[in-house]
Amino acid sequence: MNRKLLAIAPLLAFAFICIFLYQGLFANPREIQTGRIGHEMPAFTLPDLMQDNKQWTNEALKGEVYLLNVWGTWCPTCLAELGYLTKLREQGVKIIGLYYVQGYDADFDGPFDMQALRTEVQDMLERAGNPYQFNILDLHRTLSLDLGVSGAPETFLIDKNGTILLHHTGDINPRVWRSKFAPMMQELK
Amino acid sequence: MIPEIGYFSLTLAMVLSVLLCIFPLWGAHTGNLRLMRAAPSLAIGQFAFVLISFAALIYASLTDDFTVSYVAYHSSSTLPWYYKITSTWGGHEGAILLWLVMQAGWTAVVAARSKSLPWVLRARVLGVLGFLGVGFMMYTLLLSSPFERLLPYFPVEGRDLNPLLQDPGMIIHPPLLYMGYVGLSVAFSFAIAALLTGKLDNTWAKWSRPWTMTAWGFLSLGITIGSWWAYAELGWGGWWFWDPVENASLMPWLVATALLHSLSVTEKRGIFKSWTVLLAIAAFSLSLLGTFIVRSGIIVSVHAFATDPDRGLFILAFLGIVVGGGLALYALRVSQVHSEGRYKFVSREVALWLNNIFLVVATLIVLLGTLLPMVHKEMGLGSISIGEPFFNKMFAILLVPFAILMGIGPFLRWKQNKWAFLQNKIAVGVLASVAITCVWLFSAYDEVTPLTLLATTLGVWVAISTLIDIVTKAAVHGTLKEGLKRLGVSYWAMVLGHIGMAFVIAGVALTSAYSVERDVSMKQGDTVQLNQYNYRFEGVKTIRGPNYSGHAGVVTVLKNDDVVTRLYAEKRKYDIGMQFMTEAAIDAGFTRDLYLALGEQLSQGAWSLRIYHKPFVRWLWIGGVLISLAGFMILFDKRYRTSAKTARKAAAESVL
Repeated sequence: MNRKLLAIAPLLAFAFICIFLYQGLFANPREIQTGRIGHEMPAFTLPDLMQDNKQWTNEALKGEVYLLNVWGTWCPTCLAELGYLTKLREQGVKIIGLYYVQGYDADFDGPFDMQALRTEVQDMLERAGNPYQFNILDLHRTLSLDLGVSGAPETFLIDKNGTILLHHTGDINPRVWRSKFAPMMQELK
Repeated sequence: MIPEIGYFSLTLAMVLSVLLCIFPLWGAHTGNLRLMRAAPSLAIGQFAFVLISFAALIYASLTDDFTVSYVAYHSSSTLPWYYKITSTWGGHEGAILLWLVMQAGWTAVVAARSKSLPWVLRARVLGVLGFLGVGFMMYTLLLSSPFERLLPYFPVEGRDLNPLLQDPGMIIHPPLLYMGYVGLSVAFSFAIAALLTGKLDNTWAKWSRPWTMTAWGFLSLGITIGSWWAYAELGWGGWWFWDPVENASLMPWLVATALLHSLSVTEKRGIFKSWTVLLAIAAFSLSLLGTFIVRSGIIVSVHAFATDPDRGLFILAFLGIVVGGGLALYALRVSQVHSEGRYKFVSREVALWLNNIFLVVATLIVLLGTLLPMVHKEMGLGSISIGEPFFNKMFAILLVPFAILMGIGPFLRWKQNKWAFLQNKIAVGVLASVAITCVWLFSAYDEVTPLTLLATTLGVWVAISTLIDIVTKAAVHGTLKEGLKRLGVSYWAMVLGHIGMAFVIAGVALTSAYSVERDVSMKQGDTVQLNQYNYRFEGVKTIRGPNYSGHAGVVTVLKNDDVVTRLYAEKRKYDIGMQFMTEAAIDAGFTRDLYLALGEQLSQGAWSLRIYHKPFVRWLWIGGVLISLAGFMILFDKRYRTSAKTARKAAAESVL
């Protein structure tokens, strides 16, 4: 009996794997599950990117519908979407940037060169358009982690009460805006 | 016209493979010799038609026939001719066609070189191979034909081959890997044929051993070249990423390694029979599973290919039939197999059994690490990722007992050993390896961590104990010179494989511990020091290739004011697709690689550069090549080569 069970064990194990492979086939691996939708913005206190001594908190952002756009100068797709985002700003959409610093580690890289980053950001925004009311600097990527950001660009839609309604990975273009964001914006008005 | 001939020829090949699947298997079942005898010619015919089909695709690519969709998407007229050829396996459809060439090729070689086998077994082996051929050809013809046309509107220029794949490593990496994957199907077919025949004896092991060894050799070489390609081409000095696609090639390799050790026990001692059969089934199953993972887009990876649920479904169904069928047959038949043969704890049997245990555990770790994130997600537990730290830790832990055993194993004889005979060899080996490693590391480096010391010692230990074994085994036959000649081919294969592994272990240990990198911003004339080397930036010049343009950062490397070399780190922009590629400059050496990648242009004529000093990284690939040579050595073993005369005799006998 024992011997028979041992003989059939590999087959059972394989069948078990197959069930998951079958399910996996119809799942979109690029779909990111955000546990955050419907929840409130996580609490944070982070500095402004361009001004010294200015801090932003989740409480301070409440009261208006806004987009939180995760971006960085190192990210070519972010550069590509700046133009369209700027158009959206001109149409009255409030966009706040969450600047995502890539690869900085205080233990290895020494003090952060704030001035260099500011120059770089200013250059890029002057060239490609500036869609942002202001930018929040997430130097240690704590807020990004809380939000479940997996890269840049990513954009969140947040309502007056500070509730996250939408999490979009990838760039925002007219098509995405029309299909994903515009209907929700309409509802919020 | 030519592409249509390719498609038609493939259809004919499939007809032949359907016959190859039915005739011999039915013949073997009913004892009809005439049906069985059809198998070899069918196998060779199938190969010929698959070759014609493949030649048609190469022709279409060489003549820039952009009416063929595959060529339009994976080639361009400015591509150098050799990359036009390799572009035929740069995409999904062509890669599968290459797989078919390999599959049919192996089948034909088995048909030609198996004359000494009894007809019942030979027919069944070829029949199973034919069945596998049917599956893959049906897939190609129905779901992934590389001969689809873009008519009447076709592009005047192709989309070009992915620049990442425009590299010499890519010319040979996929064919070698496929040779390995598909070669394992021969071991699989032998196992299934043996199960069907009901004769799981040591002759079965003897026949399937050379095939397994050769396939394993190709797989080892394929993985080695793949790792080298990643190192040279991806531009950040890594050589293994635990990416799902790499894992997919590592799993069959680990199981095949276990299989060839277990085969030797089954061949020499007639035990572990059912286990060996299971390994043979598992090795090819994991190759198929790997293909499924890569080709279905089920797991996102840097190698990701297009997602297509239809294709994934077909491969999964095929996987289910082949692997499920194989394992079901195993479950039915294996309980009748009885192994005889007794052995004590201190014996080669137990050492090889432990080797199998470690390798299988390693495989399960990779399998779990690769599939768990998916299972986790499917069960609604959210996304998790399992990466490098997990695998590195697990493999580091496994390596210690494995490497120790690898040194002791060859000392052991079959059945039983007196501990007293081993003591001296082990003691000498341990002392020598610890002494050598300590002298080596403490004289070369200021800082030696216990972990680095341990890992390097293990590598040295494997090498030293293998050398001790050679000397003691050779000394039995009087003089050393005479003794060395008497050692058999498979013994030398073992030596090569183990020494190769020693190189890999020491290489991994040292390059992980002592690699240094620096990101610098340099202007013309600036000098940066990294270890004993000075890097002087001479500036950037523009370059122009056949299908790209770009910049090359010129850096002179100096050591004590002597020029060591001049490196050209390129940043290319490919004309079609406008993709940027970093082409790292590497000065390769036996004890160190100097590796340089050109970054972005910064302000005021400065460029960012990344410089790596990677000690002993080359040992990884030296080891890999040695390991694969061990696999190919079996081709020179007389025991597995029967002369035509004895083959005919054996064939005549088996008819009776």
